[in-house]
Amino acid sequence: MVSPALRAQLESSFGGRITTPFTDPGRRVGETVSTGIAALDARIGGLLRGAITEIYGGASSGKTSMMLSILAAAMDRDEACALVDGHDSFSPGIHSGKFLWVRCHNLTQALKSTDLLLQGGGFGVVALDVSDLDGKALQEVPLSTWFRFQRSIEKTPTILTIVSGMGIAKTCASLAIRAASDFEFEDRLLAHSVTRAEIVRLRSSAGFQPGFKNVCFNFYPSFSRSIARP
Amino acid sequence: MFASIFIPHFPVQSLVRNEPELSGKAIAVVHSDAGDPALQKVVEANVAAIRAGVEPGMTRLRLQHFPEVTIRQRSVAQENSAHAALLDCAGGFSPRVEDTAHDSVLMDLEGLERLFGSYAEIAAHIYDQAILIGLQPQVAVASNPDAAICASRGFQGTRVIPCGMERRQLASIPLTLLTAEPPFLETMYRWGLHTFGDFAALPPVKISERLGQDGVRLHTCARGASMRPLDPHKEPLRFEETMELDDAIAMLEPLRFILKRLVDQICHRLRMRHRATHEVHVRLNAYERVLQLPMPVCDSKMLVELLMLDLESHPPKAAVTKVSVEAIPAKPRSVQNGLFVPLSPEPEKLEVTLARIAHVVGKGNVGSPEVLDTHRPDAFRVSRFDSMKPAAATASPFPSLALRRFRPPLEATVKSRNGAPWWIAFQGFFGPITTASGPWKSSGEWWQQDHWAREEWDVRVRTEKGLLLFRIYCDPNNGCWFAEGVYD
Repeated sequence: MVSPALRAQLESSFGGRITTPFTDPGRRVGETVSTGIAALDARIGGLLRGAITEIYGGASSGKTSMMLSILAAAMDRDEACALVDGHDSFSPGIHSGKFLWVRCHNLTQALKSTDLLLQGGGFGVVALDVSDLDGKALQEVPLSTWFRFQRSIEKTPTILTIVSGMGIAKTCASLAIRAASDFEFEDRLLAHSVTRAEIVRLRSSAGFQPGFKNVCFNFYPSFSRSIARP
Repeated sequence: MFASIFIPHFPVQSLVRNEPELSGKAIAVVHSDAGDPALQKVVEANVAAIRAGVEPGMTRLRLQHFPEVTIRQRSVAQENSAHAALLDCAGGFSPRVEDTAHDSVLMDLEGLERLFGSYAEIAAHIYDQAILIGLQPQVAVASNPDAAICASRGFQGTRVIPCGMERRQLASIPLTLLTAEPPFLETMYRWGLHTFGDFAALPPVKISERLGQDGVRLHTCARGASMRPLDPHKEPLRFEETMELDDAIAMLEPLRFILKRLVDQICHRLRMRHRATHEVHVRLNAYERVLQLPMPVCDSKMLVELLMLDLESHPPKAAVTKVSVEAIPAKPRSVQNGLFVPLSPEPEKLEVTLARIAHVVGKGNVGSPEVLDTHRPDAFRVSRFDSMKPAAATASPFPSLALRRFRPPLEATVKSRNGAPWWIAFQGFFGPITTASGPWKSSGEWWQQDHWAREEWDVRVRTEKGLLLFRIYCDPNNGCWFAEGVYD
């Protein structure tokens, strides 16, 4: 009689931070975390831990803003985050704290670094940005590489976010988002970008969810010359 | 009570300690003060070599008649390392340790029974620890320092001499083990005395008359009745292991095995002293590398991995004949983890991961970005990643628009009309500018040689790939245009 009461008390103490901690991991309900974008969270229910999330789109599509938003949300939770920057294009200034930046200059370096980070473990979010790399080389990355990444994290709380110009992780990604953006100017001043995220693939603990939908949200320039925000 | 640890055939054991594959073989250690190999003589040989016929003082030339005997040159550096390890072994048990000789140490056992049990159990513990540091000891416990030292030299394994039984138990030990000058031992031999018991049976007064105060001191020692105080060893802790190689090593992979042995030994010693290390120096002949760690660790596997990654990035420029590893001791890290501690990598594991990544992408390309205190665009440095760093305050509740930088900025061809750009071309992108926001003028560091000035524009360009938003700038000093990045 004491044991169930103690278990219930402990589970309530975790306050939802760890879902069903005493349940067999195989049968545990997938834990999700915020992307930092309220509209996207409302549609997809957050990012699934222990899974690959893929965001892709062309230049100026908003994919990098979404990736940084995911990293910022993880850092707000005080989790360690890592960005494997495939083409050394990250602009520092927004993020600090437990943030690891790996500046790569080719695809091989980026894949090796990601592999090492995932094997090392302990990161809340590992973002692999291969947007500016050669599309042909990306397409030639064997599916087994993404499958290995997925296996590395599947029983861990780490989220691997892949950002690229085209869909490359295919079925290994639990969530795939295609991004496209437009930019709003007011009186010749950049007001914000309107990003449209198309949910191409969504796999939750309940399995694949049909019915692809678009989600729209805005990104605002953080620099001083921007106009007043709403 | 006092315990003495004696290492028989110490020069041989100090070599075997770093070359375990020699264990069980007949080994003779040769040395020559002049350094000439032809003049080298046997200074020490183990039991197997002595059984084979090797004698101290035998020349190297004569040793060649014993093919089963392995010949090694004496290594003072390795003997020093083995001696330091012996002191650490004793220091792990008792705070009062005497550095009696190169091959033996003495320690005070007062109060240790409550920690380790009976004296027999303490002796067994000491024996096991000495085995762990690669030495085959002889351990003896007695009520006075000299009796313990003599017993450790005279008996194999472990021996506990109960209080009052010293004279009887020491009686069978050969007189050659008494620390006395050769003329004294010769006199004893002429008198027909061969054991401690023979010498102890002589009347003290007659000894005093014939051999003086030295004779009386040795007689007291032989009776096990010496009562001198322990002289404590007070030198600072130093964890250094050295290995001198007969053949030079030019490749890094064989060096891994040597480093592993040395680091294993150092980690054993650190653990015995309840210490860890946050700084490791590796010396390969005159070449030195220093490994700095963000927290104290005592994991030999991890240290070897980090040292090898460092050496692969900065290899020695010549073949190696002497390897030395020194660990700077530090208090071990003790962390009480909580249930709600946020997700972060294990510091020890993280250090290896970062070193491996640095090996792939270069040392300056992995770490935490830190914006410099300047208005110069893209001014940052990459500092060491700290998984223990507290969370930074959230800058903005709104999702921010990201800029993907071109490093270095790309030179662009820009056509202007009425002071505003209207067409642009750079590295694969070209087209008319549909909207241009700017110019945003900034400059700085005019008092330095590399002062900078720029006029920034945010431009929406209609390209083959659609409408793209770039940040471009013009250098007013030379009128050149550059594309700095794309908003994404």
